[in-house]
Amino acid sequence: MSRSDKVLYVTFFAISIGVLVFILLPLIRLVLFLNPSTVAVVKNKSVLISLWNSLSLSFTTAIVSLVVGVPTAFLMSKNMFGKFEKLVETIVDLPLAIPHTVVGIALLFIIGRKGVIGSLFYNSFGFKITGTRLAIVLAMLFVSLPYTVSSSREGFKKVDDSLVKSAMVLGAPMHSIFKRVYLPLSKSAIFSGFMLTWARAISEFGAVVILAYYPMTAPVKIYDAFSQYSLNVSGAIAAYLLLICLGIFLTLRFSFRGMK
Amino acid sequence: MKILEVENLNARVGNFELREISFCLNEEEILVFLGDNGAGKTKILEAVSGFIPLESGTVKILGKDVTNVEVQKRKIGFIFQSLALFPHMTVKENVEFGLKYSRVPKTFFRNVIERFKIEKFLNRYPDTLSGGERQRVALARTLVTNPTLVFLDEPTSALSPRERVNTAKEIKVFLKKAKKPAIFVTHNEEEAFLMGDRIAVVEKGKIVQIGKSDEIFYKPASKEIANLFGTYNIFNGKVIKNENGVLSVEVRNKEITGVGNFRVGESVNVFVRPEDVILTCEKSKSSVRNSFYGSVTSILKKGPIFEVKVDVGIEIISFVTRGSLEKLQLKKGKKVIAEFKATAIHIFK
Repeated sequence: MSRSDKVLYVTFFAISIGVLVFILLPLIRLVLFLNPSTVAVVKNKSVLISLWNSLSLSFTTAIVSLVVGVPTAFLMSKNMFGKFEKLVETIVDLPLAIPHTVVGIALLFIIGRKGVIGSLFYNSFGFKITGTRLAIVLAMLFVSLPYTVSSSREGFKKVDDSLVKSAMVLGAPMHSIFKRVYLPLSKSAIFSGFMLTWARAISEFGAVVILAYYPMTAPVKIYDAFSQYSLNVSGAIAAYLLLICLGIFLTLRFSFRGMK
Repeated sequence: MKILEVENLNARVGNFELREISFCLNEEEILVFLGDNGAGKTKILEAVSGFIPLESGTVKILGKDVTNVEVQKRKIGFIFQSLALFPHMTVKENVEFGLKYSRVPKTFFRNVIERFKIEKFLNRYPDTLSGGERQRVALARTLVTNPTLVFLDEPTSALSPRERVNTAKEIKVFLKKAKKPAIFVTHNEEEAFLMGDRIAVVEKGKIVQIGKSDEIFYKPASKEIANLFGTYNIFNGKVIKNENGVLSVEVRNKEITGVGNFRVGESVNVFVRPEDVILTCEKSKSSVRNSFYGSVTSILKKGPIFEVKVDVGIEIISFVTRGSLEKLQLKKGKKVIAEFKATAIHIFK
């Protein structure tokens, strides 16, 4: 290795270590924030509920994203939208580029009491969508769905065309090929999309706070505690949320890696 | 009986066109598609299988028009270049894959795994098998569904030259034993001659010649086809005499005699296989019509034979054995006579 190569690698390593420290330092500090005095915070029922809301509703969102995102991703990977392919791709990725408070306002115009769908529900069933768990899932889904679609689409695209053709000449109809070839060979990409969607949904604040301040999710509770009480309370809730998320994601990631 | 009949098939894939493809496949026959990479061999198979929509033309299997029948129902076995074994399935699951969709008795599976000797690795995954084992699994998976015919798209291309010949031989034996007609795609002429009952030469999306292997080898329809087997002894000249089909062609002031049907004055190509060019030190007493004096310009060892170039005014190549080389004491500069029969000459436009 020449001297200039060494300089390059040493510089890049130094930058990479800086990046890792940048990510880990605040997280470690937050975890260290937990101590006997802050433990009492989670004994508060409303904190526990907010943590449960975040986990369960984001998980529901990730499941829904699989149900609606995977078929869309499959069609996109097969160029089934023809000349509209780029347009569809852009629309699906659009939520990534929109500020989440803007998403919240936009959704409010649709599912709010006077919105197109919101008024329909209210007038037909007397059911107000905003301020419910459904509203939270819709807000989470809007901002996190692109992760499932993009990741699954890339997974489907990577399936070798000759495998699909082989399955066809062996007599398999497309629904069988989807189930027996596409899904198993793309499971890693789909799972990765699922995880990203879940992670994104858990952390969603901007859109959720506009559509449903109550029932509170953990990020809303953290904000609420920060603005009304103190950094001690909000810091403790944040630390617990962080630990729970890390636990779940690391467990799932490593258990999935062991699968064939 | 004709198993497959393809008539005037035209198709387009992007900028590539398949034009006026017509051929048939007979019972138990192996037809080889031979051509350079990008000639369109695979695309013909894909068009016949139904993967590529046709602009026009018909495809008949066992006399039944299947032009508009979906891929899954054509009963064509297709072995792809990559073999396309499902990597997430065991060998057993791979071979069983098609059984769900075909009406073959369950005993068929047992017979096939015994015939292909794959019992030992039924529970292994494809990525743990050797090249030859994967070939056998791919064949087993295809034949277990009892297809009417089989397409093999360069299935040996990933193997070493020695493995390639052995595997091709093995595939031929399997196909013949199973009495399955097949189309075998390759760009390797050695493999083509080994596998094919007939050979179809494919060039730029067209079948330019189809026939028995000797016919293609000794009487190529064009310079390009002759070049598939090495660029040897193709000379451009002009017909100067035609006596009842015996032609004299002038090639750079040399007169070559051959058999053909061209008018005096026509520009033609004269082709003679290097195997048909005999080198001697004394003029032979037989009725050889073409005999030229010259000197050896180069000797190149090519496996078991030697490629000897002789300058007789034009450069003629002869293949000689080691025995002949030693007997004639051939070396660079040695004066020799290059002889070949008029019937060994192939004259074409």
